[in-house]
Amino acid sequence: MIQPTARARRRSSKKAEIVRPAGGFRLPKPVRRLQRQAPLYALQGLGELSLRLRQMTGREVIDLNRIMELVQFIYKQQELARRGPNYTVDEFGFDPEWTESFLPAFKLLYRDYWRVETTGVENVPAAGRALLVANHAGVLPWDGTMIKTALFADHPHPRHVRALVASLFMGMPMLSWFLRRTGQTVGHPDDTLRLLERDELVLVFPEGVRGTGKTFKDRYRLRRFGRGGFVSTAIRARAPIIPISVVGSEEIYPMVGDLPPVARLLGLPYFPVTPFWPWLGPLGMIPLPSKWRIQFHAPVHVEDHPPHAADDQHLVMALSDEVRDTIQQGIYDNLKLRRGVFL
Amino acid sequence: MTPNRVLVTGVSNPLGAEVARRLAGQVPHLFGCDVADPVSALEEMDFVHADTRHAVIGKLIRQLRIDTVVHLAVMIDSPHDERSIHETDVIGTMNVLAGCAAPTSAVRKLIVKSSQSVYGAGPADPSFFSEEMTSHERATSSITRDLLEMEQLVSEFALRNEACTSTVLRLGFRVSDDTTLGRYLSLPIVPTFAGFDPRLQLLHEDDAAEAIVRATLGEHPGVFNVAAGGVVLLSQAIAIMGGRAAPVLPPYGRWLGRMALRATVRIDLPAHLADVIAFGSVTDCARLESEFRWKPAHSSRGVMDALARGKEVELIESPSPPQEYELQVYLQRRRREGRNGANRLAAHR
Repeated sequence: MIQPTARARRRSSKKAEIVRPAGGFRLPKPVRRLQRQAPLYALQGLGELSLRLRQMTGREVIDLNRIMELVQFIYKQQELARRGPNYTVDEFGFDPEWTESFLPAFKLLYRDYWRVETTGVENVPAAGRALLVANHAGVLPWDGTMIKTALFADHPHPRHVRALVASLFMGMPMLSWFLRRTGQTVGHPDDTLRLLERDELVLVFPEGVRGTGKTFKDRYRLRRFGRGGFVSTAIRARAPIIPISVVGSEEIYPMVGDLPPVARLLGLPYFPVTPFWPWLGPLGMIPLPSKWRIQFHAPVHVEDHPPHAADDQHLVMALSDEVRDTIQQGIYDNLKLRRGVFL
Repeated sequence: MTPNRVLVTGVSNPLGAEVARRLAGQVPHLFGCDVADPVSALEEMDFVHADTRHAVIGKLIRQLRIDTVVHLAVMIDSPHDERSIHETDVIGTMNVLAGCAAPTSAVRKLIVKSSQSVYGAGPADPSFFSEEMTSHERATSSITRDLLEMEQLVSEFALRNEACTSTVLRLGFRVSDDTTLGRYLSLPIVPTFAGFDPRLQLLHEDDAAEAIVRATLGEHPGVFNVAAGGVVLLSQAIAIMGGRAAPVLPPYGRWLGRMALRATVRIDLPAHLADVIAFGSVTDCARLESEFRWKPAHSSRGVMDALARGKEVELIESPSPPQEYELQVYLQRRRREGRNGANRLAAHR
């Protein structure tokens, strides 16, 4: 190949684009400088304030680490917005980088709002497939987000959990987009099998919307675990089942009633009525700060069964009941360990 | 069986033209038929004006002693009304199959173009469609129903005629200047359904043609999904094209969104595509890879990048000028008469 001469190269090369600032009104230079440096000054001020307060009261009033996490969160969001279309999602539409950027916010909820105490997290393998099975409660699936956060906050090898959600949520605007992008997929046996075969952690709520839609007086009473489909899938994928008991999620929205006609009208499985919703409008959607406990139980090794055992309905139902009993027992244990609903 | 006398129906659409161009050097006798004139003439191909909606197509298949039929006259993304799409897809395929099944027919291989639209798209669907997942219950759009009916006809034909291998290729969504999806994604401001950002799986035009050619030259009976690897999010695809996504279409009532699109940006998005840009549709192409030992060269992301570059998606270089077309037709006719019309001419005299 003939090397082009300097002149030819100069002629054929693309000219540098001159980026012009947007026309119109611009603030004067000192104001703009102040604008740029305001976050820095604010942080400095906060730092001094926290120091003073610590000297005065003798304890940590403003935790600077938390503040820094928040600042990092904002900067991370700006950085993500800048990457344009240059990112890849997996075939399920999962964007790990984007998901991780939300972790500080969820960790805040996890540590400070619901003060989640997690036990038995070592039962979750650091690598390889497993099917996590948990009880489902609360009107909105906050328990799923907290289990996902728990594995990031407390597991020695942070891992993403891929939860299975009801197809109903996949038809909802915003929710469908957020759920897919953060790694969730439809609760379909094919999807479960596919994810497990990729050695992922899959979280399933066998109670489904029957669990989230139960009223406050039925709290902590497990519903039927479907038809045990999750057990057959686990046997087929040769993945251990890890039961999880979640305590505290029942009290975030104390559902005192249900309005089936309204639910039918909106195409929802239930329309909750809580002391705050729908009376206070969007404010009623703020979950109550109950005290949570999450317990990961020892794995049930269903992978020891041969693959054809997946069609043995008797065995499948027996295993499903075993998992259900473990979770129910775990709920009772953790309720005893909890001093009060909001303590 | 190596194909000897090949008939390509629907040869005048860009995909048909590309398939014919690729087959031209590889099969001894190539025939093409369509209702419209081809965009560019091909010297090796004999073009016949024939409408699959009429029984004449069966006569054509028998008279030309065709042994391989590549049925591409299936309308999926077309501005025609539902009725004429149904006529072409179902009645047309029925006529072609009747021609292939006739006792005197020599057809030993049949390739039918279908589409990923056969699965429809909805919120309750699994993340990946494998070939068995078609169902009449999910068929919400007319095109899905038509394709299901058409594939039903083909499978019945395959059961009755075991001597004939039939291949159905469910092609993924293609984006180029002449597909609705391509035009939609190329808008400067793209109205999308508020709160939805589905996964899109696409197929490059080259890969679509290549799959059809491979099915024609090889021996691969069955139904196959043909689509690019990986997915690209709708918002990502729009950003690659340099446009901006405007989530302004109402999330419920897709017909309303379609009406708004027609009124504002003059894009008549068919119902099945409206579902796709709300919920996405992704297929599992594992069967294609294991049976054909080949997979599409471009990934979904690559297809989008190619469209954005605007070079590689251009299928046919440039349509040849009209004079050249006339010349080709004249030469074809002369060749044909020179070959098999000699004795007929003699009889006339």
